[in-house]
Amino acid sequence: MQGEKTIIRGSCPQDCPDGCSFIYTVQNGRLIDVKGDPAHPVTRGRLCTKLNDFASHHYNPDRILYPMRRTGAKGSGQFERITWDEALAEIKSRWTSIIDEFGPQAIIPCNYLGHEGVVQGLNVGDAFFNRLGATVAERTFCAVGREIGTHLTVGPSTGVDLESLVHSKYIVLWAVNTLSTNSHQWPFIEEARQNGAKVVVIDPFRSRTAAQADWHIPIRPGTDAALALGMINIIISEGLVDQDYVDRYTLGYEELAVRAADYPVDKVSSITGIPVDDILTLAREYATRQPAVIRLGVAIERHRNGGQATRAINCLPALIGAWRHVGGGYLGLTLSAFPMNWSAICRPDWIRKGTRVLNLNSLGSILLEASDPPIKSMMVYNINPVVQAPNQAKIIEGLMREDLFVVVSELFLTDTARYADILLPATMQAEQTDLMLSWGHFYWAYNHKAIDAPGEAVPNTQLFRLLAQTMGFDEPEWKRTDDEMIQDFVDWTSPFMEGITLERLKREPFVRASVGDKDTRRPHAEGNFPTPSGKCEFKSTAAAAGSFIPAPNRSGYEGDQEGTYVDPLPSYQAPFESRDSSPELAERYPLNILSPKAHGFLNSQYANELKQKRRQGSQIVILNPEDAESRGVKSGDPVRVFNDRGSFTGSAVVSGDTMKGVVVSFLGHWASDTRSKSSVNAISSDRMANLGKAPTFSDNLVEVKVVASDEAHRDVQTSSMTRRSVVGQV
Amino acid sequence: MPHIVTENCTDCRFTDCVAVCPVNCFHGDGNRVYIDPVACIDCGACVPLCPVKAIYEDLDIEGERTVWIDLNAELAASLPVVRTKQPALPGAKERMSSLGFAGHEGA
Repeated sequence: MQGEKTIIRGSCPQDCPDGCSFIYTVQNGRLIDVKGDPAHPVTRGRLCTKLNDFASHHYNPDRILYPMRRTGAKGSGQFERITWDEALAEIKSRWTSIIDEFGPQAIIPCNYLGHEGVVQGLNVGDAFFNRLGATVAERTFCAVGREIGTHLTVGPSTGVDLESLVHSKYIVLWAVNTLSTNSHQWPFIEEARQNGAKVVVIDPFRSRTAAQADWHIPIRPGTDAALALGMINIIISEGLVDQDYVDRYTLGYEELAVRAADYPVDKVSSITGIPVDDILTLAREYATRQPAVIRLGVAIERHRNGGQATRAINCLPALIGAWRHVGGGYLGLTLSAFPMNWSAICRPDWIRKGTRVLNLNSLGSILLEASDPPIKSMMVYNINPVVQAPNQAKIIEGLMREDLFVVVSELFLTDTARYADILLPATMQAEQTDLMLSWGHFYWAYNHKAIDAPGEAVPNTQLFRLLAQTMGFDEPEWKRTDDEMIQDFVDWTSPFMEGITLERLKREPFVRASVGDKDTRRPHAEGNFPTPSGKCEFKSTAAAAGSFIPAPNRSGYEGDQEGTYVDPLPSYQAPFESRDSSPELAERYPLNILSPKAHGFLNSQYANELKQKRRQGSQIVILNPEDAESRGVKSGDPVRVFNDRGSFTGSAVVSGDTMKGVVVSFLGHWASDTRSKSSVNAISSDRMANLGKAPTFSDNLVEVKVVASDEAHRDVQTSSMTRRSVVGQV
Repeated sequence: MPHIVTENCTDCRFTDCVAVCPVNCFHGDGNRVYIDPVACIDCGACVPLCPVKAIYEDLDIEGERTVWIDLNAELAASLPVVRTKQPALPGAKERMSSLGFAGHEGA
């Protein structure tokens, strides 16, 4: 018999700026549909190609439903079902003996934003591991480099409201593929364009977004700071500065002018590969077609100079007084409008004095080289580092260590979960409670639990309650409900929370933070920058304290910051791996590789769904026609991409969409799905950028070769998908 | 992986699809609309709104009907964008019922 259909409200759990509002439809206890809410002011009723089949994703037969223990060799993927009691007892026994022998710092958590809600997300395990005394894991996989660059310049500003973009007349989409990774912003851009706005995309690759722009400016990877400094120089030397705004609301103009004078347009052209006339036109149009707005993507940070590139770009809006206008200024991250009580979430007061901090971008090195004490156990949740983190082969080598006890809580047997000793089943969004924030717009949304979890899967909050009980922790923190945690975690006293209560968030499908009206909002029309001086700091005062990582990205821990020198003025440094910095390396590996997010996957999530694999196709390697010709590569050829760190294989696509010297291969494919059993992060370095320890995924040199014919034969036999992808994506 | 408008659109052209498209990828002539496969982001928002089920993901189109894949690409490139909902064509209601679909408020 057909039961009644029930509608339950929720919100997308993914690490994406769009934060779509969900309408769950449940019948007979089964989730039969997940749709967007047409009433949501930003997401307007549609989801995306990644999430359209989210209901069936919950019922994917590959879900991990029960705790499991490894039975085969490490990485073999062979497990047997055990009970939760057995799993917890084994974890307790292993961790207790590790702590007895090596101390608690021999244990490290490894996590990120597989879920991004207030209670199930980034910080869900922080209090537990702080209480345990584990090594503090610093998590700077995404946006921290850009955010430090932003904070040193304009402070933790909430920035331009994306809904205000309809008022903009000049929209610069810099280092962002809006249509693949922020697609609900596009209708606002399109509306502005109908009102006369020009849309400019700055990107080395002709992405979907670049293809739809009024003007695509290809730029050599890692040279964005030179372009921004060059624009500053042109704006100053041609008298296009809003001098009144600069005099009242900025700091360090004279010094900035001197620094920018080092970047005359000819020099900038030779660094960036952009013709002189284009640089001049860009600077002049940007300065004179107000309101002008820069939407800066996270990709800006993924090279040596990522943080300072963000600094340079962040100087532009104040220089031309763009902030005076509705829809003028800078749009990066809206997260400051979602105030959190970090010390209640992370309990940094539980961190023992002298606890070390290790950055997870160096995960391979951590597992292989950390000493005093070495890492003897790692617990992985909300993350798939084998695909997502740099230097894949080194991470796998670390995970293969026989003496490393690995616990993984997951939805699926990912490339990382394969290396678990104990696997624990995690819940998907319709099966759990969370309060969702957004880093792209200003709306909260409460995600109500819609269906029971399958098998014995538990939400992350429950996982850590169970672990705390297992380890004998008896503080009241471990006995709270999810709602009680939300109540404790949000800073309800912040002005951004005016009129917002937990009851209201549970009652209404989405609630706008108190940030002002989209059609009149000008957050920095009169300065009011949340910086030490209250001004836009061309010359940063906070730089004097040296480099640092925000506490939420390191379990709430303020201590043990590196404090290395930070240039107080925006600066340009050539990428680590480039002709300028490493000529010998560039001789052997002449091609720069970019690994943008795949349109059909969300990082590595959904890359295990047949439908998404079919849509995305298998791994492709896009080469410029000149680079392809000199290597004898034709579209459809199986190729190997390699450097000293590793290699992966893919199917060549020869296209002018990428610049000469730049290879593009999308991120997200699971290594276990490929012939080489490796994916694009096989070649990436674990060096970090100059601010915020951002990863340097766009700062890697490689060479590309056609795979030998005997191997190619195998490729053709094993992958009909490869042929399809070439047809589908050229 | 774009979406494709197939035969059922011809002589109906209800255009509920164009109003929901976030990237304005529909182009049209006097008879019907086509999707620009370069602009389409495969969000699928248009699919449930078509009263005659004319829109499919390209990978779901088989046999002779694959002709629509090339036709959409070719004709979208040469026709103007249709941004707002248009009145349905005269006779659309009759065509819809001849295709086996129930009533639609736009007809």
